[in-house]
Amino acid sequence: MCRRLMPLILCLFLLTVTQSGCWSSKEIEDLALYTGLALDTGKLTKAEQELEEQGVTYSKRDKVTATVQIVPVKTPGMEKKGGPQPLHYLNISGTGDSVFEIFRQYSIRNERPIVGHHLKIIVVSTELLKRQSMEQLMDFVLRDNDIRPSTMVFISQSRAEETLVSKRTDEIPSFHLRDMIQGQKRTSKVMKPVILSELDALMHAKRSYALQNLVTADGETEFTGAAVVKGDTGHWIGTLSQEDTECLSWLTNKSKAGAIKAYDQDNEPMTYEMKDMKSKIKARIDGDDISFDVSIKTEGRLIETWNSSSDADSTEYTEKVEHIFGAKLEKMTEKMMEKLQKEYKADVAGFGDALSIQYPRVWKKVQDHWDDTFSRSKINIKYDLKINDFGSFTE
Amino acid sequence: MISLLSSVISHIPGWDVFFQAGIALLIPLAVSRIYKALYSLVGSGRAVESPGSSAKKRKGQSDAPVSPPPQARQGFSGNYAADLQSIKSAIGRNSDLHFKEFTITRLQKQAVLIYVDGMQNDRILNLQIMQFLMLEATADSFSPSGSAGQQLPFSQLSEASDLADFNKSVLYGYAGLLIEGLPQGLLIQPPEGDSRSLDEPVSEALLRGPRLGFSESLNENTSILRRQGRSDQLEMVTHRAGNRIQKDLVIAYMKDIVNPELLREVESRISKLDIDFLAESGYIEQLIEDNYLSPFQQVQNTERPDRVISALLEGRIAILLDGTPFALIVPVTFSMLLQSPEDYYERWLPGSLLRMLRFAASFLALMAPALYISFISFHPGLIPTELALSIIETRQGVPFPSIIEVLILEVSIEILREAGIRLPKPVGQAMGIVGGLIIGDAAVNAGIVSPFLVIVVAVTAISSFSIPMYSAGITLRILRFVGMGFAALLGMFGTILFFLMICSHLTKLKSFGVPYLTPVSPFRARDWKDLFFRAPLALMKRRPAMMKTQDSKRKS
Repeated sequence: MCRRLMPLILCLFLLTVTQSGCWSSKEIEDLALYTGLALDTGKLTKAEQELEEQGVTYSKRDKVTATVQIVPVKTPGMEKKGGPQPLHYLNISGTGDSVFEIFRQYSIRNERPIVGHHLKIIVVSTELLKRQSMEQLMDFVLRDNDIRPSTMVFISQSRAEETLVSKRTDEIPSFHLRDMIQGQKRTSKVMKPVILSELDALMHAKRSYALQNLVTADGETEFTGAAVVKGDTGHWIGTLSQEDTECLSWLTNKSKAGAIKAYDQDNEPMTYEMKDMKSKIKARIDGDDISFDVSIKTEGRLIETWNSSSDADSTEYTEKVEHIFGAKLEKMTEKMMEKLQKEYKADVAGFGDALSIQYPRVWKKVQDHWDDTFSRSKINIKYDLKINDFGSFTE
Repeated sequence: MISLLSSVISHIPGWDVFFQAGIALLIPLAVSRIYKALYSLVGSGRAVESPGSSAKKRKGQSDAPVSPPPQARQGFSGNYAADLQSIKSAIGRNSDLHFKEFTITRLQKQAVLIYVDGMQNDRILNLQIMQFLMLEATADSFSPSGSAGQQLPFSQLSEASDLADFNKSVLYGYAGLLIEGLPQGLLIQPPEGDSRSLDEPVSEALLRGPRLGFSESLNENTSILRRQGRSDQLEMVTHRAGNRIQKDLVIAYMKDIVNPELLREVESRISKLDIDFLAESGYIEQLIEDNYLSPFQQVQNTERPDRVISALLEGRIAILLDGTPFALIVPVTFSMLLQSPEDYYERWLPGSLLRMLRFAASFLALMAPALYISFISFHPGLIPTELALSIIETRQGVPFPSIIEVLILEVSIEILREAGIRLPKPVGQAMGIVGGLIIGDAAVNAGIVSPFLVIVVAVTAISSFSIPMYSAGITLRILRFVGMGFAALLGMFGTILFFLMICSHLTKLKSFGVPYLTPVSPFRARDWKDLFFRAPLALMKRRPAMMKTQDSKRKS
């Protein structure tokens, strides 16, 4: 019995192994990786317009134009040396009212299926964010399990697809944008990037937040200020200037770098280079009134001054300069707080976090209308700016 | 009640789940069934598993050779002429056999010296022995008969009372002496065949350590072992094995250290050897190992006397066979295969580093191509983006799926390796260059493989060379191909499945009663100090716990 069964079992086993093939195997070169995704207001691309004129379309409303950056472009056979360098990426766009459907629609034009494992950045245009909420736009991206939660999200002031185009042919714009955040070691104007998983939490908590703002000009993309997204609606409400963004980074303890430039008594510019920055937000409850005490402590060096007549190392001079820089810092911060409290009425600086940690019970009461409460709270800021270094110079 | 029932029913899975559960139950059962069937089909070379076969019982254990009994034992008659006649009729047709008949002058007795060409030092034989026998030997030398050895001035002298045994010994190279009136044959000079000079072992070269390897002569090998140092506890027992052509083998152990049960087990397995001829110690290894279906060796082989002696001091047992420089050491565990004597000769930090390096290398040698396949064909998301891009760019010209690509390069590398062993040394080196540089580069340029794979295969090949035991390296080479198959079928899932299967096999495997993965499983904390890293010698106060030695202390 066993003797006859055994070859049979062996044959069956061999059959299952040989006939089933390689389950879910997909060679890497047969896939197209997309590394960047740009979401814009619905505007048919040229190809789509011509296709629609020929009556090629499907049932949809043109609300969103999704552009993906596909790398690398397939090169036929052996690459020949020399000659003009071909572009390393390919941007393709589609218009519709479902991001996923647009993605699938690419497959009727492209030879390789696109996979999202390597998605690095998502850029959303402010124009689109005025019409659609962030939750709506990010829904597919968060649900899809190929896309990593570490993907960074940016806002673009102009059309988002323009940020995925670069004048330089030797680099891939989405990688360029991803690497540009390293600038935050040098300047606080580059914010700490918000990644998908953080964004998910913020959206879920209905909190207002600020995202890095991108501006494109002449094929170059720059990090400029921040875009503020209102928590309860999920729409874009405005931008913060570069200096506001700097103050925001300092206030939220997310950056220790940066420079403050001020003008001295002779109206000559001088610059302070920040070496250390600590800020602390302390909530204070007085009946129904909520107020905050903020202390900003910074140390740094005087790195540049155009006034040569100064007696640089005297104590009086140091105090004078510290005072000037402190005043400048105060002015900048107040301008930013004014904008947040009065103009946008959105707490993107983490005051709500401080309150929820220090007074959880009070927070429970006010969290549903926090942005409103925040705009009415009083905020006292104490500045402590110290210069302990003048760099190396000779008398 | 009914709602409860319906809610229970709604949680009962569909038939497909039961089907999968059934398969998950049946496959392991079937595999173990097939394994058992295969095992009983072939059985083992030892006579234990096949009681039906008419295996000859064990050969003699002592020095006295015992002939197999096809014909009845035929003793010496005492009649000189008749005995010589029967010897001549049995082995006289051999043209390299010489009969030198002479007369012992003082006794006036006939005698004959029988020897084989080339097995004796002719000078000594002719000048000294003949001179003594012919001119000086007196009646005292041979009387009283029976204790002849004491009076004769030969250091190595034994008596053969059995004709067939005498014949065998003479043909093996002994000088035989037959004297009128003496009812036995004397075997006076043992064979002194040419042997090669002692060399550095080729298969286990070390930078630091004795440059001494075993040779083909058993006497020399045992003497090398003895010369490792003075001890009255190093015991070597000779056994004889082989049905048609008999060979000596020696079991060596430390009498006061070795576990007596282990010794009994080894002796019983050796005594059950049932084979015509043992050409090499590999024969013994295959006949006494626990599981012949396992890809892993359960007996360690080595050419290095220092390795053998330190194994004996750990409580292990060595088996030396005549005619081969490879000694066997039992039992062996997986970690021992990755240890090199150099780990102990160097200071403990470099020793530990090298040992960990070897573990990493053996992992690479086993898994690297499988990981490559599963990354390339199944999980592009696990590769860093920039690397993924360059892989895609270089692989765009490659027409094969990754498994074929890897197979092409792996098989050609294995062929190169095999060819390199056969070729004479200078040509072999040239072959390595041809293989490494030209085939790799040309294959990339021809668009058959991607440059990234060349790195993977090269690293794999180099890694498998870094394993100190050649035969363990072969095991990993075999398993690598199995791993590639798993990876090609199931991706990362298959690769991990493959690794787990190896782990579970190793956990079950035993070598002479010692689990193969000790001290990892079963866990023996004491032995971990000599596993992934080698503790300073001062800390290694006790012998490995896994050997269950009689005396576990290394220090007095």
